[in-house]
Amino acid sequence: MIKVENLFYSYTKDSKYAVDDVNFEVAKGEAFGFLGPSGAGKSTTQGILTGLLPMQDGLAEVAGYNMKNPSRKMFNKLGVSFEQSNVYGKLTALENLEFYRKLFDVETIEPNVLLEIVGLSHVANKKASTFSKGMKHRLTFARSMLNKPELWFLDEPTTGLDPAIANQIKDVIKEKSKEGSTIFLTTHNMFIADELCDRVGFIIDGVLKLIDSPRNLKLKYGQKLVDIEYKDGNEIKKDSFSLIKEEERLKLNHIINNYEIELMHTKEATLEEIFIKVTGRGLV
Amino acid sequence: MKKIFTITMRDIVSSLRDSMIIYIIIFPFILAVILRMMTSSVGATTVNIAVDNSIDSTMVEYLEDFGNVETFDSIERVNKRVNDTDDVFGLTKKGLTYSIIQEGNERASSVDLLEYMVSSYENQNLDLPIEVEVSDIGWNLSPIKQYGGNLLIVFISVFGGMIILINLVEEKQENTLSAVNVSSITRTQYVIGKGLLGFMVPIIHSIGILAILNYGQINYLMVIVVILCIAMISVLIGFLIGVTNDNILGAISSMKMLFIPILGSIFGAIFLGSQWHYLLYWSPFYWAFNALNSIILKEATWSGVLLNCSIIILITGIIFALLSKKIKRGLN
Repeated sequence: MIKVENLFYSYTKDSKYAVDDVNFEVAKGEAFGFLGPSGAGKSTTQGILTGLLPMQDGLAEVAGYNMKNPSRKMFNKLGVSFEQSNVYGKLTALENLEFYRKLFDVETIEPNVLLEIVGLSHVANKKASTFSKGMKHRLTFARSMLNKPELWFLDEPTTGLDPAIANQIKDVIKEKSKEGSTIFLTTHNMFIADELCDRVGFIIDGVLKLIDSPRNLKLKYGQKLVDIEYKDGNEIKKDSFSLIKEEERLKLNHIINNYEIELMHTKEATLEEIFIKVTGRGLV
Repeated sequence: MKKIFTITMRDIVSSLRDSMIIYIIIFPFILAVILRMMTSSVGATTVNIAVDNSIDSTMVEYLEDFGNVETFDSIERVNKRVNDTDDVFGLTKKGLTYSIIQEGNERASSVDLLEYMVSSYENQNLDLPIEVEVSDIGWNLSPIKQYGGNLLIVFISVFGGMIILINLVEEKQENTLSAVNVSSITRTQYVIGKGLLGFMVPIIHSIGILAILNYGQINYLMVIVVILCIAMISVLIGFLIGVTNDNILGAISSMKMLFIPILGSIFGAIFLGSQWHYLLYWSPFYWAFNALNSIILKEATWSGVLLNCSIIILITGIIFALLSKKIKRGLN
């Protein structure tokens, strides 16, 4: 669905590249996470792939269209949810969606259905200027689904939302992914990427450092340890055991069989820890 | 076509919810009403006379050189006309005696003028020790009405561009242009949809102003053609300022700079001697003012109007060539 080869982009049109020789592919139906801190080149790459920034050097194909000269028809297949909500403040939520749906040539979803999905049906006839930041963000998200996109670009879809609404949004993304939509998720939130993506790519300073599935990355970079807290008489004891060494596995087994376990968890690496390990930089 | 209409309709709905745009839409009509009130009092200096069939046609022709004459077939109908709300004097003749009929609230100086006209007609053959010649200075309309209405129409042609500008700045502020750019609408459809208001508003304004100022049987089609041409320059400037600004007040201030060449061209055309008019040839507003002037005076011909329009289009084309890159960049 997306094919990127030797992609370069410079805002200053010199060798200071915001995107520096990036290569990757996203298969149809895949949920791909593009991860990196602010200023890493995520939004620039997405800008090129959605036609908002012109191609400078390299190759980028999106939904079968070469981004050097994309056809407007391509946008019938694309949905884009922006990081910064961008809706018409003087129009109501319903008017906003009614307006945008008329700009597509394909069958669209009823705006009222979308407002119901994102929990805005009760304010359908209120002007968007009266909305909170989270409500505007949900309206922007709803708009990106209007044309039932085959390829869905999501830029920080849950940033700034309260946890309950963020969960709602995540559920919608999961459902669309199950239905077969290809998802290109740009975020610096590793937990969301971990939860939603089949594969992730780490980008920093415009360079794509690695691409793999979250599971493979955890297996590769995680420490195979189990942290345990147990009661030994009146005393609470803490310990860590390797799952690889036979001797430590037997010790762990002994504790489980003979003591009251208070807490126990595997010490698998988070994507954030892996990102830091791979790039040497944090995600903020 | 549907997409173009969608863009225009969005701007109309959005504009009708913006007090600044509503003011811009209403303001020209208020100015026209004020101008109408002013020109009514100027028009009142003209003598209006209602005559019956006792006044012969030679005298009617003579009176028409000085005022407006209406003829009626009976004295009763003259009386009825005099009783209407406007200032009209009745004139009838019985034997050798003329009678002036008035309601009583007419201007005294107008009665004197009518008496002078009657006396002057009857004493045409009298030998005078001096020679009196009556002439006019070429005004067919009051200058306030002729130039005021024309100036107002050219001036308000900018307002359509101003509405485009406000809607574009709103798109910039709310970053909604990005969302439009990831839909299947083409750039051309978007620009046409946005630009339509820039033509529709001045046409509605100018027809309203002409109707309020009551120029009579002028060629409205010619007016529309001239307005369509002169609105192009305002639409162009509206787009340029709109896509390069994200602050409405700053953008409107920039647009107001356009008033300088407009007013300069119009006052130049009014006050400069015709031998100096070549200094204004660069301004499309000068050509629009000229064309509208001849239309208002009912002297316009299609060839003359189209020549003026061609010059306006040529100048606008040159300006477009200079600005198009900047506008395209701003729309990205």
